[in-house]
Amino acid sequence: MAHIALATGFILILIGLYGALTNRNILRMIVSFTVADTGVNLVIVAVGYLRGRTAPILDATLPAAEAAARIIDPVPQALVLTAIVIGVGITALMLAYAYKLHETKGSLDIADYRELKW
Amino acid sequence: MVSPIFIIAAGLGTAFLLGLLRDEWRAAAYGLTLAALAGTAAIAGGWLWAFAIDGAAPVEILTAGTPAPFAINLRLGLPEAALLLLANLTGLLSAVYLKDTLSHLGRRAMAVLLIIVMAMGGIILTRDLFNLFVFFELIVISTGGLILLSAERHALGAGFKYLIVSQLITILLLIGIIFAYHAAGTLNIDGMAAASLVMLKGGSLAFFLIFIAVVAELKPVPANGWALDIYEAAHPAFSAIFSAAVASASLFAVDKLLLIGGPAWLPVATAIGIISFVASNLLALPQTNDRRMLGYSSVGQVGLILTVLGQRDILGDSTLFIAGGILFSHAVAKAGLFWLSGLVAGRNLQDWSALRGQPLLIFAFVTFLAMLSGLPPFPGFYAKWELIHLLAGHGRLVLLALILFGALLEAGYLFRWFGYIIKGEQPTEVIVPARHKLSVAMIAALAGWALGYLWGGLSAHNNLLQTLPLLFALGFLLLEWLPAWIKNSLAIAGLVAWFILGYPGYDPLQLIFATIMLLGGALILMASYHAQGRRVGFYPSAMLMYAGLAMLIVAKDSFNFFAAWELLTVGSYFLILRGKHSEPHALSYIVFSLGGAFLILAGFALAAQGNSQFSIEALRQVAQPLAPWVFVLLAIGFMTKTAAIGLHIWLPGAHAEAETDVSPMVSGILLKAGLFGLFMLLMHMGKQQLYGVELTHVLMWIGALSALIGNLLAIFQEDAKRLLAYSSIGQMGYALFGLAMMNHLGWLMALMFVINHYIYKSMLFLSVGGIAKRTGTRLMYKMGGLITLMPLSFIAVLIGIIAMSGVPPLSGFGGRWIFYNAIMTAEYRLPMILIFLSGPIAFLYLFRLIHTIFLGQLKDEHRKIKEAPFWILLPQFIYVVCLMVFALVPGLALRRVDAYISQFFPQGALNWEGLTITSDYGYWSPVSIMVVVGVIFMTLFAWLLFVNRKAQKVKQFNIVFAGERPFRPETTHFAWNFFAPYRKALGFLTQPLVTGFWETLTDLLHTAADVARRFYTGNAQIYAIHFLAFVVVLFLLSRGV
Amino acid sequence: MIKRFTVLLLLAGVGTLFAGLLLGYSPDGELNATARYYADHTAPDIGAANIVTAIIVTYRGLDTLGEVTVLFLTAAIVGLVLARGRRRTRTEQRELPPSGELLTTGSRLLVPLILLLGVYVFVNGHLTPGGGFQGGAILASAILLMLLTDPLRRFSHRLISALESTSGLVFVGIGLLGVFFAGGFLDNRILPIGNLGSLFSAGVIPVIYSFIGLKVGAEFSSMLVSLSETEDS
Repeated sequence: MAHIALATGFILILIGLYGALTNRNILRMIVSFTVADTGVNLVIVAVGYLRGRTAPILDATLPAAEAAARIIDPVPQALVLTAIVIGVGITALMLAYAYKLHETKGSLDIADYRELKW
Repeated sequence: MVSPIFIIAAGLGTAFLLGLLRDEWRAAAYGLTLAALAGTAAIAGGWLWAFAIDGAAPVEILTAGTPAPFAINLRLGLPEAALLLLANLTGLLSAVYLKDTLSHLGRRAMAVLLIIVMAMGGIILTRDLFNLFVFFELIVISTGGLILLSAERHALGAGFKYLIVSQLITILLLIGIIFAYHAAGTLNIDGMAAASLVMLKGGSLAFFLIFIAVVAELKPVPANGWALDIYEAAHPAFSAIFSAAVASASLFAVDKLLLIGGPAWLPVATAIGIISFVASNLLALPQTNDRRMLGYSSVGQVGLILTVLGQRDILGDSTLFIAGGILFSHAVAKAGLFWLSGLVAGRNLQDWSALRGQPLLIFAFVTFLAMLSGLPPFPGFYAKWELIHLLAGHGRLVLLALILFGALLEAGYLFRWFGYIIKGEQPTEVIVPARHKLSVAMIAALAGWALGYLWGGLSAHNNLLQTLPLLFALGFLLLEWLPAWIKNSLAIAGLVAWFILGYPGYDPLQLIFATIMLLGGALILMASYHAQGRRVGFYPSAMLMYAGLAMLIVAKDSFNFFAAWELLTVGSYFLILRGKHSEPHALSYIVFSLGGAFLILAGFALAAQGNSQFSIEALRQVAQPLAPWVFVLLAIGFMTKTAAIGLHIWLPGAHAEAETDVSPMVSGILLKAGLFGLFMLLMHMGKQQLYGVELTHVLMWIGALSALIGNLLAIFQEDAKRLLAYSSIGQMGYALFGLAMMNHLGWLMALMFVINHYIYKSMLFLSVGGIAKRTGTRLMYKMGGLITLMPLSFIAVLIGIIAMSGVPPLSGFGGRWIFYNAIMTAEYRLPMILIFLSGPIAFLYLFRLIHTIFLGQLKDEHRKIKEAPFWILLPQFIYVVCLMVFALVPGLALRRVDAYISQFFPQGALNWEGLTITSDYGYWSPVSIMVVVGVIFMTLFAWLLFVNRKAQKVKQFNIVFAGERPFRPETTHFAWNFFAPYRKALGFLTQPLVTGFWETLTDLLHTAADVARRFYTGNAQIYAIHFLAFVVVLFLLSRGV
Repeated sequence: MIKRFTVLLLLAGVGTLFAGLLLGYSPDGELNATARYYADHTAPDIGAANIVTAIIVTYRGLDTLGEVTVLFLTAAIVGLVLARGRRRTRTEQRELPPSGELLTTGSRLLVPLILLLGVYVFVNGHLTPGGGFQGGAILASAILLMLLTDPLRRFSHRLISALESTSGLVFVGIGLLGVFFAGGFLDNRILPIGNLGSLFSAGVIPVIYSFIGLKVGAEFSSMLVSLSETEDS
């Protein structure tokens, strides 16, 4: 189970990276990165998974005393939330940049923005 | 103490608070921003004080009321506090600098600035891996925002490139963190270190990902194209933060990671660091954009610090001192330079000539330059000293060589830049820096000096900023507003007083050098009375050189010796640079000198075997097989200063282009520093053999060749000062030859040359300088017939060349006499013949000084010129007196030295009886020679006067070479290309082979750098590919290991 | 072509790296020490039924503070970037076609419900799956819906900005109260931890999470509004 999820996550990352590095259109690059980010999030969650256990929320069916034996690892779940939020932030920032870049040159081709070099 | 959590809370809280203000209340928002930054800086400063002065123990700050591995904890100790202070102060000063921009953009921009500073604090403080990631992301995003402060159009593109690469970094970092958590069961950095993560299953791969991602934030070559674009395009005030503070925080993060990685990862850090250091300094060479060049330099410096962190296994407790020294020098200097770059309108390096005429800004620039180049008295100097010693002590010689090579490259382009400022084309517009920007830059400069004082105090050595000569020299910076003559009197008084103070402590050898350098220096300074106005910059430079010289001759240990060496090098560089066309020559001077200094440093370090306290005396005890290598390094280092053949190409230009009173200083005095070093070296290390080759024999050959080639080159010069300069190469060759003979007479001869060369070369440079001042040219074929107009100069030159050519009766003859006696005792015949041959060659060029300048026809345009200024003539006639006295009673100086040398070479001492001196080969009676020659001279002179009674004056005419069309006017003058036949015969010896060699070398470096930098194509995707390639290659390499 | 090939080659390298991680991975059978601590101590110490929430808001509260700062920062920068461009006024823009009956009516019906759901999600963050970030995103989706219905609709920047700033300040302020009245920065026990599973439990967590919800909602809205205002039409 965990291995499948992990493998899927890794494959998503590779697909995302391939897209981001080969598409010259800035918007496609941004979308590719969100695919890769999703892969990362999947990997994070998968690492916390323990076979046959339940979500880390205490209620009548899961008393505090049994928690340690019955819940999955809550830490990756907490981390993934942070990772998602940060991913959103960066995506939004990149979109704003893309907008501005398009405004300055009217082009969304990344290869058009290389005045600075060497 | 205020809890450090407030550093984070105050920054964030203020950022949020700004959102509540009305958009119009920009002044209030700005005030709030400054107050918050000042407050957090004050908290950091308070803690730093507590740790450094009161010796407080590091504190742990728990959050969430839960013990450490389970909730995020922060730690604050001495390094953290220092870095926090750095980050917050840089932020504060940049905010002050950005006053207009921030007020224009409003509170959102201020909030972003506050957050980036807060995030650096988080990176420094946190002990949790994931928390580290969060703060890194805050830096990434706020960088993305602050890049937009720039008015530069391309900033947007640069920011986007950064975002793309940071996406890749984020992905790797997150994957690494989650697998590290899985392997170690904790996110706490100390917990991971305790669990030795890299040993756990899957842990080392996870660590690799984390490490590579955080190292990528240090912009290592080659995965750093984006960073350079940011440096080029971003607002300089942001670049200051990015280079000084963000890089420091990231370095600290890497340091934390190395704690987890353990010793296995130290070599990786070292390799990445040193490659970045050397490569980016190389790539900086062909840059023309100031900010991009500073970017390369930043990458290099950070790479150097990473190298230091990677060497912590041998640096041990000194790591903090060394890394801190380099880091703070880098941070202060780089921030300062970026702030300065905001004052300069153009982006080309040459545009920085706009700084000229702004003494304060130039002072700041020089401070930053010296800090970056690791010159004394700044922290980088002490750090470099310790680093090189420890590296040498543990046999990491390749690394040592690479570090010194990179540092030399860096010094090269930085000093070239300084040359543009001082000597570039006159600025079109004068900059009027806004007061707040100026104060920010000046605060950085003063902070640099304060750090220098601090590091000097922390070092195990002499605090250079407490040494009297240096303080005296620096004091002239404060007196720049005084007229030159007052400063000149002060300088002379200082030199004489220092000599008198030191007099009782000098041994005879030191006494000779001290007399020449201090009293002799004072004598040359008398010529400086002729200068009008304030002469800004002259006295601090000159006195810096003299301070170095004064400290050099009394240095007891290698540290003081080396520090003095660097001080005198820098001082003389500034002096040389003052000449009208001296920029390229000053540059090659400083590059050769620093290269030589680095060899000396390496030599001392190798000799000391890791012990950074090393007395010069201990050179005697250096063991085989190290000793010959130490000898070679030190000897080459000293020979860069004496301009031995092969290392001489800087000298002619530097000496010839210098100002009238500077030429005698750098020729008559400065060259002796190299000889002094060689004396010390040979005195303590004696004869050494390397692969069966007697090294003193090699030196002897070098000396002989220098004498021959130097003299040969001198005869073909048209420029009188260049002629004298080349002749110095020859003279130093004699001295080197004498020293290398390693016997009594040889050393005595070398000392004779030390004294004589000082006297006659100073005198000749002054006379020729005076003539050049009056005629407006230094080309001899443009002069002629000046004997009637400048009779006093004529007498001085005549006496000078008599002394120099070594004919009786003047002191030069004494030199020759000892010289001929000495070479009779030499063990090797061939170099002896060479040096013997070069004697007559000297006549050829010396004779031209009289013949072409003073005799022959007077030029029309010179009919009305006057004798040289009084103050230039006065020292010349004092020299004449000295020559006479020294010729009559050479024992005055030599007798004691002769006895002193007997300690080392009891054989072959001269016999001093009355006024006669006897050697194994004959005797020399100066007084009788003087009488004999005087009688002959008077007789001949009288006869000449008698015969010449009826001589006619000849009208002026030109002799045109038959059959030649005079394309250039100088070809019509008889004195042009005077020794053409000799040139035909011997010209092959004067081919500029050496110059060609060094030029090819620098061209090669430049071309390589120019080709290599095309690697940075400017395409964001290519940069991302570079980064991935960096990761994959390192991964494969680390698998292989 | 060369570029594609290079990229593929490099990704193969990265893939090898990932494969190494994958093959070296063996799922834990037991919770590790950290997770076990949370499982055992959340209920008695923090009083939150949702352990993930306890971790997010308290144990790793500093991360979360950073997280909301990321959003704040992004919103500020997006505003900064876009504000530097041309800001079109309503009159300059050409008339857009009406959004259609279905969307208009649907949004009128849905917006209050979405807002309500959002508030529910963050208020109950310490008890049920969900929390401030999720709730905030739901709130912002209501704004998105309104913008879709009427792209030219304008929202008060001051209100949004005041909302996000106040929430941020309250978060930092509550965190600091922890330093003075409890065990440290962001300690939730400045209020009683109450009974496990009731709404008013887990100390100050529901308060913090509500403000996070408001803040996140405001920030997402701010980004959406900034983007929509500069939209070329």
